[in-house]
Order: sequence, then C-alpha cells, then structure tokens
Amino acid sequence: MSESKTLKESRKQKLMVSYGEPVGVVAAQSLGEPATQMVLRSFHTAGVSSVVTTTGLPRVIEIIDARKRVKLPIMRIRPEKSIARDYEKVKQLKQKIEEVKLNSLLDSYDEDIKAGTIKFNLSKEKLSANGLTLAHVTSRIKNNFDGIDISAESGSISVKYKSKKDVKSIRTSFVHMLNFAVAGIPGIFKAVIQQSDDKSFYIITNGSNMARVIEIDGVDKDRIYSNDIFEVLRVYGVEAARNLIASEIQKTLSEEGFGIGFRHISLVADTMTYTGTIRSIGRHGIAGDKASVLARAAYEETVKHFINASVFGERDPLKGVAENILIGKQIAVGTGRIKLAVKKEDLKKIKSNYSEK
Amino acid sequence: MVQAEIIDHIRFTVVSPDEVKRMSVAKLIVPDTYNEDGYPIDGGLVDQRLGVIDPGLKCKTCGGRAKSCVGHFGHIELVRPVIHPEFSKSIYLLLQSTCESCHRILLDEAQIAELRPAIKGFITIDEEEIETFPETSSLAILTKKLKSVKKCPYCGTAQQKLKFERPTFFYLNGNKMKPDEIMDWLSSISNDDLSLLGIDGTATRPEWFILTALLVPPVNVRPSITLESGERSEDDLTHKLVEVMRINQRLEQDIDAGAPQIIIDDLWELLQYHVTTYFNNETPGVPVSRHRSTRPLKTLAQRLKGKEGRLRYNLSGKRVNFSARTVISSDSSLTINQVGIPMRIAENMTVPFYVTKWNIEKGKEYVSNTSYPTAVNIISKDGMRKRLTDTNREEILNSIEPGTIIERQLVNNDIVLFNRQPTLHRASIMAHRVKVLPGKTLRMNVSITTPYNADFDGDEMNLHVPQTIEAQAEARYLMQPKNTLLNAKDGRPIAFLIEDEIAGAYLLTRDDSYFDKQETMLMLSNINIYELPSPERNGKYSGKKIFSMLLPKDFDFEYSFKGNKVEIKNGNLKSGIIDNKMVGSGAILLAKLFVDYGPDTVEQFILQLSNLCLRVVYMYGLSVGIKDYYNTEKQITNRTEIIAEAEGKVAELTKIYKSKKLERLPGYTSKETYELMLLAQLEEARAKAIKLISSTTDESNGAYMLATIGARGSLLNMLMIKLFLGQQQVRGKRPSRGYSGRVLPFFKKGTKNPENKGFVSNGYQDGLNPLQLYMHGMGSRDSAMTKSLVTAVSGYLQRRFINALQDFYVETNLSVKDASGALIQTIYGGDGVDPTMEMVMDQKL
Repeated sequence: MSESKTLKESRKQKLMVSYGEPVGVVAAQSLGEPATQMVLRSFHTAGVSSVVTTTGLPRVIEIIDARKRVKLPIMRIRPEKSIARDYEKVKQLKQKIEEVKLNSLLDSYDEDIKAGTIKFNLSKEKLSANGLTLAHVTSRIKNNFDGIDISAESGSISVKYKSKKDVKSIRTSFVHMLNFAVAGIPGIFKAVIQQSDDKSFYIITNGSNMARVIEIDGVDKDRIYSNDIFEVLRVYGVEAARNLIASEIQKTLSEEGFGIGFRHISLVADTMTYTGTIRSIGRHGIAGDKASVLARAAYEETVKHFINASVFGERDPLKGVAENILIGKQIAVGTGRIKLAVKKEDLKKIKSNYSEK
Repeated sequence: MVQAEIIDHIRFTVVSPDEVKRMSVAKLIVPDTYNEDGYPIDGGLVDQRLGVIDPGLKCKTCGGRAKSCVGHFGHIELVRPVIHPEFSKSIYLLLQSTCESCHRILLDEAQIAELRPAIKGFITIDEEEIETFPETSSLAILTKKLKSVKKCPYCGTAQQKLKFERPTFFYLNGNKMKPDEIMDWLSSISNDDLSLLGIDGTATRPEWFILTALLVPPVNVRPSITLESGERSEDDLTHKLVEVMRINQRLEQDIDAGAPQIIIDDLWELLQYHVTTYFNNETPGVPVSRHRSTRPLKTLAQRLKGKEGRLRYNLSGKRVNFSARTVISSDSSLTINQVGIPMRIAENMTVPFYVTKWNIEKGKEYVSNTSYPTAVNIISKDGMRKRLTDTNREEILNSIEPGTIIERQLVNNDIVLFNRQPTLHRASIMAHRVKVLPGKTLRMNVSITTPYNADFDGDEMNLHVPQTIEAQAEARYLMQPKNTLLNAKDGRPIAFLIEDEIAGAYLLTRDDSYFDKQETMLMLSNINIYELPSPERNGKYSGKKIFSMLLPKDFDFEYSFKGNKVEIKNGNLKSGIIDNKMVGSGAILLAKLFVDYGPDTVEQFILQLSNLCLRVVYMYGLSVGIKDYYNTEKQITNRTEIIAEAEGKVAELTKIYKSKKLERLPGYTSKETYELMLLAQLEEARAKAIKLISSTTDESNGAYMLATIGARGSLLNMLMIKLFLGQQQVRGKRPSRGYSGRVLPFFKKGTKNPENKGFVSNGYQDGLNPLQLYMHGMGSRDSAMTKSLVTAVSGYLQRRFINALQDFYVETNLSVKDASGALIQTIYGGDGVDPTMEMVMDQKL
C-alpha cells in the first residue's frame, strides 16, 4: 500500500486543518524560528518615509510583550478625500497637529533670572509659517502657567514672576516655558507631509495621540493609523487592536524578508486579545493566567506558584500539554486527542473471539 | 496501551503538623549522620527507617533494599514554632485583614453579604446564576482595602500599625511578634472568615504556615556520596538539616536549664534562619548559607527552580533510551526519507517484534540468527524478559509463540526519528527509514539538510527508535519528510536542491545545452534510467529533454518569473530554465509535483534530479578559483574611477554641510541628513561596482555564474573580494567613536575623510592596509556581538511563544480552543485552512 494519497486525490478535505492539530505550537515555531535570523538593530527608517520607528526583533518583542508605551510611536494621518490632493490644505492640517514649541518661534530671548523676568522675541515669519498670532501664543502661556504677569507688545512677550522664587526654580520654569507647546496636539513631536502614488498627500508623525487627532476636521477617521496598540484599544476598541497586532507583526516580519502564513500571526493576535483586553505573551500575561499550577511552575517563578497554589488550595485539572508531560501522561493535542471508544459488549465479543483462536 | 491508573487532577494544600507526624516514620533526635564505624545512627538524619542507599542494608520500615525501597519521611519536632519563610507574605496579608484582638475579618456584615456570592464562584444577575472566575489573588486585593480599616467592626478595637520585615519578622506597633503569638492569632481565624479571603480552611489552615514539626525527606532524596578516599560527603539538604537539629537541640537544653530570655531569643532566631535557608537559600534579606568550601548550599527551592531545576531539567524533559548520536555526513544515494546508519548503531539498538501466527517464522529466523540481524531480548507472554545468548538460543527458539515479543536489532526500512538541535521547529525532528551502511557516521541526503539546518563540518545528530506500533505508524505517516514536505510556516517545500545541484540544473536546462549520446547515457544510467530521449537533428540530446525524462508523462506546468518562462506540457520541458525558484529554495515545481503526484513521486524526483544535476556539474567541470577574482586592467581603472567619484561627491557634500547650506531631509537634523546622504553615496559606489562586475564578467567565470543563478554566493561577495569592501558599519552607522572628533588618535580632529570613517577601498584580494583592517575589524566585531545577542533574545522569545500557545488545538468544528476550553478562534485562521497549504492556495497549484 502506498503510504499516503496524493493531494489531488483528496484535495478538498486535505486543505482543511486536521482535528486536534496543535496550531498554537505550530504558530509559535513558525514565528520563533525566523526570529533566530532577525537583526537586533532597532532603529530603522520605515521605508521611504522619513520617520524613525522600531523594527525587527525589538519591535516584535514590543508587540507581544504588550508594552503600555511604545518606544517610538508614529501615526499616519490621511486627510479627507476632498482635500487630500491640496497641498496647502494638508499643510494647514499638519499645522493643527504638530506640536509647536515656543522655542521654535523665537528669534531670541532675554532673561533676567534675578528679577524673574524673561522676554521672548518672536519671529514674525515663524509665527505666520505656523499660522499663529502673538495673541494666541500669549493666551496659551497665560492659561498654562501660574503666578506670572504676562504682556505682549510689538512682536515680543514679557513674562514676570509675581512672587520671588529662588534662582533655580525660576530658571527651570523658564526652560519649561521654552519647551512649552503653544500649538498643536500634545504628543505629536514631528509631522511630515508625504505624497503617495495616487498623488494624494498624507501626514506621518512622530508621537501618537489618536483621541485628539480624530477630533480635528479634515482628518479621515477611517484611515488613520498608529502603531501604538494600547491607544488603538482605547480609541477604536479591541477588534481594531487585534487587527493592528496582526498587521504590525506581519509588517515587521515582511520588512525583514520573512513571509509567514497569516494564520499563525492571527492566532497570536487572537490569543492576546480574546479576553477583551490585551495580554502579553509571557509571565505576566497568558502564561501567568493559565489554569494549571504545574504549567505555571514549570515556566517561571516555580516556588511562587507552588506556594500560592497551596495557600488557596488550588486544583490542577491536568488538561494542558506541559503538566501532562510533567506527570508522564499522554498529551491531549494532535494524535493524542483521539480516543478509541469500544462498547462493553463488543469488547467481550472480541475477547471471546480472540481466546477461541 | 492500557494504563492501570490515571491521575485525574492534583490538589495543592499545606501540610499540617498532624499530617507531618502521620507521614513520618521516625522522630529524629540526633543531629548527626554516621557513627565512627560508618554505620547510620538511630534517630539521626540517615536513620535506616528513612530508607537505605547503601547496598546490603535493609530498610527498617519496609524491609526493602536500596533498589526497591523508595524511602520514607521522618520529622523533627521543633521546640519553638518557626515561620515557614515562603508563607510569610500570606501571613502578613492575613494579619492585615483580621482584627488583632478578636481575629475576625475586618469587614462588617453588610460587606460580607455583598462579597459572599462572588466567592462561591456564582453571582446572581436577574435571577440567573452566572459563574464567576474568582481571582486567585483575591486575598491581596481584599487586603489592600482592609489594611486601611482603623477599627474592628466587631469588637471595636483600634487596629495598631502592623509592620512586616522580610523575610520573617512581624512588628505590631513596633513590638516584635513571636511566631507562637502569630500562630495563636492565625489559628483563631474562623474558616468562615477565611473563605471570604479565598482560602478553604478545611484544606489549608493558616496556622500551618508556622512550623512546629519539620518534615524530613527520605535519604533517597538526599543521598550521600562516597569519595574515592573512602570519605563520606553528605548532601546539602542533610547538612542543612543537621544544623537545624543542632540549634533545635541547643534551644531545648537552654530552655530546660532556664537560660536568660535573650539567649533563648537569639537561638530561636538562629533556628528561624536555618529553617529559612533550608527552604530557600536565596531568600532576599537573608545571608546565604554556605558549605565549608564557601559554595552556597543548594536547598529545596534551588532544587526546583530554573533551567537546571527539577521541573525543567528532569520532569519537562527526560532522558530516553533507544537513542544514538554521532557525526553526520552526506550520501547522495539515499533518498530524502532515508538515513544511513552505521552497523555499530544498528547492532546496538533494538525494536520490538510482536510475534503473531502470521509472522512467527520471521521471528524464529531472528532468534536463530547468530550474527547481525538477530534477536537481543525475548519477552515471553507472561512478561519475563530474557537475554538471548548462545547457550539458551535453542530453548528460546522453542518457546516462541504468538504473543511473544522479540527485541531484534535495527534493520533496513525500520522507522527512526532523526533530530538536530536546536530543535526550533517541527521539521527539526523527522522520521527516516533506516539504511544500514558501512562507516561510522549517520548519513543523509543533502537535500534534507535545510530543515535541520545541518551541514557536515562536524555536526552531530540524534536518532531515536520508536518502540510501539502506534508510534511507528505515526512516524511513518505523519513525520517522514516526504509526507510533511510542505512547511507549516509558509507552505513551501522543506526539501529541495541546493548549491551544486542548482548549478547543475541550470547547466542542464540552459537553452543551448546539448549532450552527445555517450554523455546522455552516462547521465541517465547513473540515475537508473535506461531509455534515451529523442535526439535532436544534430544527433545530440537537449538538456531540457533529458530533464523531462524525470517528469511524469502527463505533467503540465506553467510558471514565469523574471523573464524565465517555464512551460511543461505532457511531461516535456518546452521552455524555460530550471533554477532556484523551480527546484531550489523557491521549490514551486516540487510543490506542484507533490500536489499532483504525491510524496513518493517527489521523493524519487529529488533523488534522481540531484544526482543528475551533480553528474552534469562533474561533466561541465564547474569550479571556482582565485582566477575568477582576478581584475583586468580595465576593472582596476574603473574601480579607481568609481571610488574617486564617490570621494568627490563626499567632499562636495562635506563642503555644503560645513557651510551649513545642506538642505535637511524632512524629520532629520542636518548632521543626520549628512550622514544619511554620505551612506547613500557610498552605497551607490557599491552598486556601481556590482554593475561593473556584471558588465565585464560572463558565465565562464564560475563564481559569477554561481552567484547569478543563486546557487552560492552573491555579487556582493565577489565585489568584496575583487574590488573593494566599501563602507564598514558599527551599530548601523559609520564608525565614529574612539577619540574626540576622530576614530583613531592619529587622525586629524573632525576629519571628514571617508577612509578615516570606515570606508575600505581595497578588496580582500588586494589585501587591506592596517587602517582598513582595523575598520573592518570594528565592523566584524559589531556583527559578531549582535549575533550572539540575537540567539539569546530569540531563544527566550521562542520559549515564551511556546508556553503561551502550547495548549491550543483545533476542534472538530475547526474552532481553536485551549486546555481550559476557552475559545480562541471561532474558525482557525479565519478560514480553517491548513497552514501547510498556504502556497498551494496562493499559487493555485
């Protein structure tokens, strides 16, 4: 007998996964094996765009660790279709988004730390380039700093501290002022306009703040992108976060030249999100939440898990793979899931048949 | 296989002092091991009631000998109670949650009523009982709330400040609490109150967190070893227990003698220290207990935890029998499903042969054989195992009957598992058919090296012989390379032609490749084909036709890639070159054959094609030598031009940069822009040089040909040997650190000269000057460091992935569930398609 049929003979049936297939392990291996060949270098310009993000192995680890803060968050903001090809309008949009620090608007500044005064000499060109007015900047500073007298005249703003403070704290608050964002959305450090193949413009940013950006008129809320998974979870919900996890892993791997089946990646994304929040792959996430004491103890923090289990009288149901290997039982995945059931009467029949011969 | 008993579940609880005494066979009283005669002291730590490890002695409890007795527990009665250090955190939480005076939980009746249903695991919403999942750490969560309660809601006592000092010290309002006081407090917490904290008082009483009797493990757990000098060396645990007992005894004597309280308290604390380190010698805040040789002792926690601990080293992974390991080497006459095994291994390994009435003759043959394929052991129907010797051969031969199991030596076509570490994916362990060969290495076809990531520069591989029929069947049908040819990662074939074979396939199927009759006959007879294809008009045979001899006669296939249009009609290669994409790592042709004709065809095809291709290579005389890398005069002048041009551009760029007129790229500082543009410039020089090689070299150059057809090496390799290395990089940038403003001390400060920033304008053939060598060394060091780091990081990543996903399986309805029954995906991957069929789907094979 031939040891196996050809696929052609049993095509339809063969395309589907088999019952009991340990798809988790297959996914883990499929993702883990290429990781050995990946580079550890983290900074890389994302394609042609000029914004720096994390790529390669560090990015994969960042995603599956479910880090609350992305090291280098970026956003891609597409304007609504009606204005997408109008550079000027996109530029206006960009100005609304990008943080403008007071420092970047100045020609110079004079400070007298002893007297507690500082005079900002604003540049008219820089102001208008950012679409700002002197009055706007003045009110922004006024609303965000306490205990100051502020006055604006002929292109400059003077600030004086009402109460006497020590030199050091005055200096620090001046520095704060210089780095204060007088316009734009907090968290968006840099915004660059790019043009895509279909001649429409879009904005790439360093820093991410989805909740604020989607409130701005002219932003296409349906085509906005951020690589901050928790932010997407907060703003768009868990389904969106799941899709982002999957697409980010796939993107990162394919940038390195690894084409990995989407089924593996989607399984990882679903594993991380099926509870409704994001759990990490590791000790504090999925592995730490397992039902089995033995499986958790065999993974990490052995003693802690045994002690807690005994305090709370935990019961290990022995259903998973790790714990069954530990106690020497057959594991319940793959061919190990298949059980043979025989009726008692039939068994007797077989036995009597066998003993006759 | 029938299992007598199956463990259904495991319950974890804390052992009570009564339980300790019930388990114990001996109360130990002497803090010593052996007497002067080397005989175990009664009541000592190696008391014979705890089991025996010396051969010749008998266990006083069960009467068994060293091999049959697994040992029995003993106990030490502690004169004063001592806190179990691992439970001190739980003790603290309990003390915080209960009243210091009446020991009731610090929750009033209303709060309890609210909490009660949730604890039971059910809450009632709209008269419907819904199961909740009580948090295991509910104690910690509740305590956070309770520790701020100032006054007991029951007795009204104001709660004093409780302080916990690691590892085992508790202070109430600044006064130290003795373990016995804590024990009294804990023992008067009611089971009812405990249940609110998630603790089942019937299983685990909190006063058991404080030890009054210490369980002593059997000697089998802590065997002493006899050194060559005849000196006995005790196990670390025994050492620790001796110390515990010694202090315990001194404490008892001092109490009896009415010693001052200070001395007693000091000893009590010392006892606590020894007990603490007995459980965990890495407890934070406690000095490490050391052996006489200053080596830290390995106590209970150290035995369990970590990679070399009991769980990961001995339980998750176990030693096995029926395995072999040796160096591997190649054999092109084996198919991808075979493995060549040296006679010495075949003679030493056994496979059970189950005698039935149908194969009894074969079985008897093995028994009567006096040399190689012979029986080794015979297991009779009643389970008696006997070794076959020359003296008992006749007797055993007569006892063979259906039901007997004969353990015979490994023979051809037995199924074995073949493995190379690191076992990164499932294709790192595959089943092969045995082929016993002369020699001392394990042999395999080179086409199956890729999934194992093996080469023959000294690699060793492991071999395992499955012992049950079920295991053998599984291996045969599910694990043979031909049956698992498509990879689970992306659905590509795992076995394909590599290196010389690719070159051979290319040379064979080039449009202008023709062979005369003799050559053709040699090539085909070499792979056991004894027919000739139809000759061309000039009497020669085209390579394409020779290749077609290997294809099934009704095979149709079309594929075009980068101008190479491969067309196969009725098993005839009409056009196109068979290259890397077809039968190499792309392996589209192999995948198509696998889908249409099945595993056996592919197995045969790979075997025949690789041998055919190798034959072509021999006949062609393909070789690579230093001559392939010689530069012509013109190439040398061109190289100088390319480098001069690049340097000119760099100088220009530098000038613009220095005059601060460099236009910044969006999102970069001007320095970053400068660096980026420089790198781009030097990269361009490389690209130009590669173009130079392609335009001035042809296929008569072996190295060039191999690189262009994707058999081995790349044009970049050639460039680095022939022309120049180009820019060296450290951490993705030009070398920049070292001295202020320069890389090496004898450079001018702030130099912008590419040579001084890691640009190497010589190739390996010219040799590098000291400066270049240094720069190249920096780059090499960086990449070596990075590589070693990546293996560690990615290894841990792999472990985490496996651990998180290992329990998932596909249900009958194609959904994915985990061990606890949680639904991960409603349909696997969104469509339920087997991931190995990825490429079959995408390429519509």
